[in-house]
Amino acid sequence: MRKRIVTFGARFGLAGLLALAGGLAASARDMIVTMAKPDQLYVIDAKARTVDKACKLDFNIIPGVIAMSPDNAIAYVLGNRWEDVFGIDLSTCETVFSAHQSDEEVRRKSIASLAVSKDGKHLYTVRNPVKLLVDRYQVMEPEFAVYDTSSGLNAEPVKTSPAPRRMTVMATGEDGTVYAAGHEIYAIDPDTGEFRIKIANRSWDRPTYSGPDVLAFWPIGTQANEFLLLYSAAKFTDATKSEMADFVWGYESVDLATGKSEIEDFASFEVIMFSAVRDPNDKSKLYGVYTQLSKYDVAKKELIKRVDLPHTYYCVNISSDGKEIYVGGTNDDIGVYDAETLERIGEIRLPSGGDMAAGTMHVVRMGS
Amino acid sequence: MRHLKPLNQKAERVTRAVTQDKMDEVRAMQTIVAGCASTLDPGWEVDPFGGVAALCQPMEADLYGCSDPCWWPAQVPDTINSYKDWNGDADNAAKDWRSLGTVFPSDSET
Repeated sequence: MRKRIVTFGARFGLAGLLALAGGLAASARDMIVTMAKPDQLYVIDAKARTVDKACKLDFNIIPGVIAMSPDNAIAYVLGNRWEDVFGIDLSTCETVFSAHQSDEEVRRKSIASLAVSKDGKHLYTVRNPVKLLVDRYQVMEPEFAVYDTSSGLNAEPVKTSPAPRRMTVMATGEDGTVYAAGHEIYAIDPDTGEFRIKIANRSWDRPTYSGPDVLAFWPIGTQANEFLLLYSAAKFTDATKSEMADFVWGYESVDLATGKSEIEDFASFEVIMFSAVRDPNDKSKLYGVYTQLSKYDVAKKELIKRVDLPHTYYCVNISSDGKEIYVGGTNDDIGVYDAETLERIGEIRLPSGGDMAAGTMHVVRMGS
Repeated sequence: MRHLKPLNQKAERVTRAVTQDKMDEVRAMQTIVAGCASTLDPGWEVDPFGGVAALCQPMEADLYGCSDPCWWPAQVPDTINSYKDWNGDADNAAKDWRSLGTVFPSDSET
């Protein structure tokens, strides 16, 4: 590899190399991948604020949870009211993968539990099966399901294993581990189906705290390559929990490259936040969104800035260079904010005019 | 409290709890884990601060984000299982909310 670079350098000179690098950088773009009612999957050029691709889908897009393939070529969408997964080739809008999880006897819904392995070969869901009997519903054990992404349409799981109840969003680590949010943050070995607690959440050992409240619905930490969730909790003056000292925001995160996890308070609970991302280039900066956009320094545990938004947004994301913040989900618009000043510097209206509702809004790098 | 008048049965029960010194038994809804039919969350009656200013603004920004994932099964039709097309003609909650009607069980369901 080194020899090849030297050869290029000798042939084109330093100026040529810089020009080449500049050209490559210019062709790789941040793209926003999201969906909107009634049936649209959008690929949007984030910097140009233009819709690059609009795929008309032939299934119900609720709830619109999206997991991207590692090369960002395929968007896997959890649709048909939590039941089915579809893989959409973003270059052609063709459906290249589908898994219909329910059958006539058993209804299986996945509550936002969707992830793709880092090699792109496997897709994971946690399915909640209910047997539909004539006179009653019989709730069955949840299951962790592994699909082969090369199975094409009407794929069946290659493996299922028991899973804890109340699982929501998932992510995959570079070593193959699957992480999932439930009562605890679990690490799953997809080969054995073994669940172990990665971050104690419900069972955390914090005698002076209430239990944490975690809203886990947006699998958006891909920019910083982390599985990050916010929690809120009451903090008391002592273990008797008779007097509250503060109500706090904290984050719990798994680094998807190293597997290292952390859980830490970072601020008092002053406003609600539904989702948050960290700057991929400076993990001390965290952005959270709801009816306000807030920027925190989680290392110093302080609020840097907060601005009111025109309306509530559910989902936040960030550009690769950390300079722009995107707020979306909910209505039919994506707001663009300067990460430094939190000034609203742009807006993208979705052509269908339909709501994004609780749909995922990813920011991914496309192009070479 | 003497200047406040209860507007519904639940509020009356809170008032009664005050007079009977049973406020310790009153549990605010915002402190429970809520979602879908598992808890039959009746919706956000108050925000985490005990008011309404921190609820989603405007309400239409919250309508589909909450009803699509079955967060509000008591206030809006269950679009996950029973009334899948309730909002089929209203893709934009802020503009199309007038199209959202009431649903009733069909004869075969009663």
